[in-house]
Amino acid sequence: MDAFPALIAAGATAVCCLVCAIWAFRPPSPNKHQSALTPTCCSCRDKATAASANGEMAIGGDEMNKTPAPAPAATGASMMEQLVPEITTHALSYLDCTSLCHLSMTNSAMRRAANDDGAWKALYHKDFTVEQGNITPPNGWKAYYAATKAIMNVNAEFYNIIREGSLPAMSHFWLNADYVKCINASGELFTGYNAVMNSWALLFNWGQDGGQGTDFQLRDVRARVLSDVAWVNMKVHVDGEPGPLHATNVYEFRNDRWYMVHHHSSVMVDPAPHNLFG
Amino acid sequence: MAATTADGSKVVGGGEKSNVDEESKMITLFSSDGERFEVTQEAAAMSQTIHHMMEDGCVDDEGVHLPNVGSSILAMVIEYCNRHVASPDEKEDIRSFDAGFVNVEHHTLFDIIRAANYLDVKELMDLCCQTVADSIKSKSVEEIRELFGIVNDFTPEEEAEIRKENQWAFE
Repeated sequence: MDAFPALIAAGATAVCCLVCAIWAFRPPSPNKHQSALTPTCCSCRDKATAASANGEMAIGGDEMNKTPAPAPAATGASMMEQLVPEITTHALSYLDCTSLCHLSMTNSAMRRAANDDGAWKALYHKDFTVEQGNITPPNGWKAYYAATKAIMNVNAEFYNIIREGSLPAMSHFWLNADYVKCINASGELFTGYNAVMNSWALLFNWGQDGGQGTDFQLRDVRARVLSDVAWVNMKVHVDGEPGPLHATNVYEFRNDRWYMVHHHSSVMVDPAPHNLFG
Repeated sequence: MAATTADGSKVVGGGEKSNVDEESKMITLFSSDGERFEVTQEAAAMSQTIHHMMEDGCVDDEGVHLPNVGSSILAMVIEYCNRHVASPDEKEDIRSFDAGFVNVEHHTLFDIIRAANYLDVKELMDLCCQTVADSIKSKSVEEIRELFGIVNDFTPEEEAEIRKENQWAFE
């Protein structure tokens, strides 16, 4: 007669979880009836499987804020991997580049998902520019994103050197070759490494067009990166000076690093609209 | 679409008998496990899937069957939709509601993402995906594995290769 109340409880549980019909019809032993319910059975899951989940999972359960660590599904895939591709792609679009890289390092399935070319193309357009939408980078968009980030950093370094007015740093930054050129905003052209370095020395000594104490803001920085050549266009707003400048910098990749080989600055023309009739 | 005339009587286009309550224009939804949910049509229309079904006249006398959504998740989605159509302009209230709404374990969050995708509720999808993204940000690789129960299956050679491949992002 002890079995009767247990039978009623078992019946109520079974009715409650219609979607788990297959499981409910398995020949259950009285003790294990509740844990036979699949983890995806919504309303009964917390009651029924909490016990089994705690027992099964060893991964970080104690460190979790709320509930026990999620048990991998029967197929062995984590919940991330169980998402269908279209959802994964959508979810990935919310990540920044560092998070995306971290995710790709977790396991081989996530590596395939997080290295998706489309995801990196979208991230490139979000972080850098909407230009270059029709090009096909030879090593894929993730590599292109990485190369672009590297060049943007190198380019920013150029302006840091100008802010500091450091000639040694500038000498290290340029390629020591006879074809390098520098055209500054005054319109003067310097050809060859030595001439270019002399021009920077003059500028730093006289505190013009840079030198210590002057600050800049770079706007609309656009980079194009090929395997061993890259160029960057930008607008330079100099503090305290009226006219912003256009600047073009060209870099070459030699001996495992980027060198500047060309710099050209010019005064920006005021883009006020001109009336045809005015 | 049903319309209410001045004296309160209902005019239904097309002469169809749909499961529409005269006063509040309700619609019945059935979860995968057969539970019934009565929601206003306005709230249900936040789901583009259901919205298109209503527009195209595909909703029969019974209501809408959703074989891909279980009852507890459907209840949560309905709660979200109800809240968002009730007072769409109270930004602060909605923000704190949303924050509480996604404060669930990741397993549930992923179930909601799947349901929001199936039902095509864009705002809910955005909210949940952003929550998942935020939980990944500034976590180490090992912490991300723990968070989602991802099992590392790389060989040591692959590990080294991957570290090199991603080095640039951590400089």
